[in-house]
Amino acid sequence: MPGADKETDLGERIEAFLAELKRGGRGSGETARSTAALLRRITAQARWSSAGDLMEIIRKEGRRMTAAQPSETTVGNMVRRVLKIIREEYARSRGSSEEADQQESLHKLLTSGGSSEENFRQHFAPLKANVIEAINELLTELEGTTDNIAMQALEHIHSNEVIMTIGRSRTVEAFLKDAARKRKFHVIVAECAPFCQGHEMATSLSEDGIETTVIPDAAIFAVMSRVNKVIIGTQTVLANGGLRAVNGTHTLALAAKHHSTPLIVCAPMFKLSPQVPGQNSLTCVNAHCPVFDYVPPELITLFISNIGGNAPSYIYRLMSELYHPEDHEL
Amino acid sequence: VNKLFFLVTQMSQDPDVASAVAAIRSLLEFLKRDQSETILGLRENLTKAIGRLQEADSSVAVSSGGELFLRFISLTSLENPDLSQCRNVMIERGELFLKKISLSRGKVAKLCHTFIKDGAKILTHSSSRVVLKVLESAAADKKRFTVYVTESQPDSAGKLMADKLRRLNIPVTVVLDAAVGYIMEKVDLVIVGAEGVVESGGIINKIGTYQMAVCSKAHNKPFYVVAESFKFVRLYPLNQQDVPHRFKYKADTLKTAEDLNQEHPIIDYTPPSLITLLFTDLGVLTPSAVSDELIKLYL
Repeated sequence: MPGADKETDLGERIEAFLAELKRGGRGSGETARSTAALLRRITAQARWSSAGDLMEIIRKEGRRMTAAQPSETTVGNMVRRVLKIIREEYARSRGSSEEADQQESLHKLLTSGGSSEENFRQHFAPLKANVIEAINELLTELEGTTDNIAMQALEHIHSNEVIMTIGRSRTVEAFLKDAARKRKFHVIVAECAPFCQGHEMATSLSEDGIETTVIPDAAIFAVMSRVNKVIIGTQTVLANGGLRAVNGTHTLALAAKHHSTPLIVCAPMFKLSPQVPGQNSLTCVNAHCPVFDYVPPELITLFISNIGGNAPSYIYRLMSELYHPEDHEL
Repeated sequence: VNKLFFLVTQMSQDPDVASAVAAIRSLLEFLKRDQSETILGLRENLTKAIGRLQEADSSVAVSSGGELFLRFISLTSLENPDLSQCRNVMIERGELFLKKISLSRGKVAKLCHTFIKDGAKILTHSSSRVVLKVLESAAADKKRFTVYVTESQPDSAGKLMADKLRRLNIPVTVVLDAAVGYIMEKVDLVIVGAEGVVESGGIINKIGTYQMAVCSKAHNKPFYVVAESFKFVRLYPLNQQDVPHRFKYKADTLKTAEDLNQEHPIIDYTPPSLITLLFTDLGVLTPSAVSDELIKLYL
């Protein structure tokens, strides 16, 4: 039966995805794109009749995916984006205009008359097509993120500047290479032991004609006085504007604060996660060599994302536009 | 109007109810019995009633509750210009509103208790019912933690808090207000309640809170505030002097004192730069998110 074939095919693809996640080693951009593509496939091929069913299926698969690799937060973020897309398309199909007012607010408390429990049970025929189209838009956005961030490079990097970075971030690499086409500047890369990804970053940058110096992590503070800007990437942006970034970033941020050097974080919007530090995760890491650092929002000057530059205190607002509060816990 | 006082005293006898909720409940009762013919008349009467309430209890919470109720009336009256129909809608929505906000303490506790880890040492200030609820939920979640409470003069409210915690089998120590700096190195986090949350994202709370916030900043300890959303108030103090006198002193002190400068204030203002996160029934907010909420409501 063709229906059963489609389902087993879908199941196989999900299993393959989970296995790849567990293996790790892929960049977060690639993970985000493949997650969104898989969610689109689930929407197209799984059996569901109302928005509520679809959301349940996606939430279930989302939980499995985040359990496979908890440190890869982009998977959970993509699931939440798709859930928000489904809610919006459902609201649009119903014809209600208050999709902007999804959040709890004092205003809503005062003016709502009676229980406004949405249970997403109504069936709409064009819903599937609408959701798939919206996910396609999301995929297009994901594909363009690195370019959108790199386009902003010339506003922030000026000639003869000394820029410091740590480890290897594909976003920062593209950012610096884009600026190097028009400006001449010097880059200092902290090697970021023990994996020493800084070495690869330096090789890649120098291949494009950028003058690069590699320094050991211990020299960060000593060299900071000569640095004009610090530009870093991150693994996750947390809801309070803080970062979960590669080990050594907190040191870099403290040194920058001490010398009043601006710290710029290049992070695409799919790295924004509704988690807040202190809830879980970082303390559950029982490691002698922790992989990630927490950088508090006070040490960060600016976030450059594919939608422009923002202050850390504004992150909560961007988050409310990307995800629905009920989806914070999958 | 006499009935109003009767109601207010009734409310104050139920110590578990937040003063803002009590104020809103009494105003709702007042609304039910009000005889005015026009919406403007209704507003005038309500404003007078709120004034009377504030004479009885001049805390920030009553003020914020009153303002919220007035705003609620304005929003509802915009939708239904006819008064008698409007009144029924108001009463129905008012009851719903009261029901929702009586659940808010539970929502706050649910959000906050995950931040308390096993083996944590918590410092809190004076007696707050919301903090009590948070600690209760954490204890119910089988977490082990110890609590330090400041005595909180002049009314020794901290001792009451310690009694309540002891009844929940939570190990608690009462410390002097002056010992906050001394104890700060031992604690892991600070959780306080708030009487009012101001537009800047700062809070107004029992005197001694500002001190605690400054100390926790100096020691790099997280300073969490737990407050329900009806405590958001449209004030923007820039420093301690900016807080209006009617909040700083008790109602009877305001009436009898000759020179207010000689009186001890009972509340202080903590600026948002010292606060790590605010836990409210609207979610976990950074101080900058608070003004957003207020703008959405009042503009």
